[in-house]
Amino acid sequence: MEDKELLEKFAQPESRNLAFNQLVRKYQQKIYWHIRKMVIDHDDADDLTQEVFVKVWKNLENFRKDAQLYTWIYRIATNECLSFLSSKKRKFFLPINDVAAELAEKIDTSPDISGDEIQLKLQKALLRLPDKQRIVFNMKYYDDLKYEEISEILGTSVGALKASYHIAVKKIEEFIKQD
Amino acid sequence: MADMKKEFELEGMPRQNVYQVPDGYFDRLPMHIMERTAAKQAPESVLQPHLWKMMRPLFAPLVLLLVFAGVYFFNVASEPQPPVANFASLHEAEIMDYLDDHAKLETADFAELTSFAGPELAAEFLNVSSIAAEEELEYYRLDDLTY
Repeated sequence: MEDKELLEKFAQPESRNLAFNQLVRKYQQKIYWHIRKMVIDHDDADDLTQEVFVKVWKNLENFRKDAQLYTWIYRIATNECLSFLSSKKRKFFLPINDVAAELAEKIDTSPDISGDEIQLKLQKALLRLPDKQRIVFNMKYYDDLKYEEISEILGTSVGALKASYHIAVKKIEEFIKQD
Repeated sequence: MADMKKEFELEGMPRQNVYQVPDGYFDRLPMHIMERTAAKQAPESVLQPHLWKMMRPLFAPLVLLLVFAGVYFFNVASEPQPPVANFASLHEAEIMDYLDDHAKLETADFAELTSFAGPELAAEFLNVSSIAAEEELEYYRLDDLTY
């Protein structure tokens, strides 16, 4: 079902729940994987994904129809991820590297993370990037979003995003070579 | 191996997802989300009666107090005020006519007066000194009184 049709059905009280259920089914995987790559842990990703869709539910009535629905949902998910990671750093009084080290350890030990050695190295190298740069990299490299779409989600200029992605790629290649 | 590391380029790597989810996770997730959104909707219909149930015992004394206050003020407001008669504006003849028509003394009334015969009792009863009583008597000239 197209987003426009989903929104029209959501606006009608009798079809609201059905439309929202369809919206969740349509976007749940994209949003979950976007979050999971940022927070690494499944339980955290599960909590945050649910929180994102609860926020979508609460705010969908105020959604501007001229914006794209999926970029709006991505934006909510991105904010949730960044808030979660910054609160994690504040909560445990940990510097950024220690949080990255904690997440890297999860990549090594978690039973629901597995893959080629080089792929796991890539994931650990990504953790050494600043959170926003990591988000830009994930949206471009894994989600294959256009710079214009990422710009709409993050409210950053396309030029800045291109530079950020390019720098992130160089850093990752450097981290993997050093490792 | 060292050569491979030096030649490593990200763009040449296959994009692989190393993260897994429990079986059937994406089948259950919409249900969990819908449960939470249903709970968000519920407070409007469930919480308000619940709150009212909790607050009801607190309202009872307040309502009782308001009822008492209402009854008290109603009684005070509706209590008949003694009419203030402006005798100064009446002619003596009118007063005398009224007394002739309405004030009918009987012998029992005079009998009552005899019980206050003792001078001490009268002074005590009236709470007036004898000098003040005399002055009061002197104030009125008997010849002014007409029957």
